[in-house]
Amino acid sequence: MSLTDVFEKYPNRRYIMYGGKGGLGKTTFSAATAFYLAKKGKKVLVFSVDPQASLSDIFERDIFGQGNIEIMPNLFAREVDADSRIQDYQEEIRQKIISMYGMKKIPEEIESYIKASSAEPAMEESAIFDAVVDIVVKGDFDYYIYDLVPLGHALYYLSMAAVYDAWLDKITSLREQMREYDRAIATMKREQETEEDEIYNELMYIKNRIGASSKIMTDTNKTAFFFVLTPEEMTVVDTEKAAKLFAKYNVPLAGYVVNRVIDRDLLKENIPAYLKNRIEMQAGALELIDNTFGASVLSRVPEFDSEIKGLDTIRELAEEMFEEKLS
Amino acid sequence: MEEKEKKEKKKSGGVIGFFRDFTYGMATHGMARHALKTRSSMEHLFILITMGDMLGIPILPPYYSLRLLPHVVPQITTWKRRMLREKDFVDSLY
Repeated sequence: MSLTDVFEKYPNRRYIMYGGKGGLGKTTFSAATAFYLAKKGKKVLVFSVDPQASLSDIFERDIFGQGNIEIMPNLFAREVDADSRIQDYQEEIRQKIISMYGMKKIPEEIESYIKASSAEPAMEESAIFDAVVDIVVKGDFDYYIYDLVPLGHALYYLSMAAVYDAWLDKITSLREQMREYDRAIATMKREQETEEDEIYNELMYIKNRIGASSKIMTDTNKTAFFFVLTPEEMTVVDTEKAAKLFAKYNVPLAGYVVNRVIDRDLLKENIPAYLKNRIEMQAGALELIDNTFGASVLSRVPEFDSEIKGLDTIRELAEEMFEEKLS
Repeated sequence: MEEKEKKEKKKSGGVIGFFRDFTYGMATHGMARHALKTRSSMEHLFILITMGDMLGIPILPPYYSLRLLPHVVPQITTWKRRMLREKDFVDSLY
């Protein structure tokens, strides 16, 4: 099966993700896939939440924190500014407290708690995945291509989501119990039914958000997750490990794309020993890749002689990836 | 709430109202008090679980606990006082 087949066979898989070790070409492939789909007439948003995002670099335009920017017809790109998102969110909470209680100023202990929260380790991941839910639920694009943060973060988030979920169930039932007490007290005191529990509603909201964000990554019908790897033994071994971990969290693995394959025909020419050795090394690794991942390897992309930057090189790369001429 | 109660009392008033309040005082007032007490312990337990890191006990990830914060602001001070009291707070249940 080729990469094109995967897209044609599963048109419902609208959330596309490339994962893999750092520097193997996740952003490049995300951009190239967005280019290909846009050329096919689909409306595509490629977005990134990595603070070191490189979509700005690859499209040669500063798009950081500026919303959806049109790169070419049908192709939009976006870099989410996680830090300012967290700050906005904290400000929203402050305003809510002030308006709820008619305060002039946030009490000091509350303020210091709000401030300290941004330093907590899980804050950023949560904010990032929450941002993703916001982007995706709008649903105004045919495809969402998610330039993923490094694998560790994604796995960390998925495992966190599972823990939160169990935890939320527990406190929700505590909340329900409290509500029973409220009702009993109201009956005993012969008062009117108590007002709705705002906290309970918030808990339900949180539950839905966490569910939605982990579902984006684990929905087999809507999500396609591709691994990027290069023909090097260590990368292959690491990818296999990561794939197993992802499978454990039910991330739907759609296939593997091999990057930076050096043209074997070069061996016929008079080339330096260094290059010869690299080609031989790659041949070994490619065999290992085929043995390990078999038919799931969807595409082999050659090593380019220049960096992939700007729409022209992105097109060249997309043509290699999808084995198709794109005008 | 107290005002409302007074108004209701006035409305019902009279001999029947008096007996109704009297039986409430005799029979259910103690129960209601106990229920209120339990309810407030649960409230404090809830805040401990969600806002624990105010006392250095991190439990819920802060991104989402911030959403709950506005709703518990009025209880924070009493909660902190109760949690940090030297006496074991379980004592107060008995």
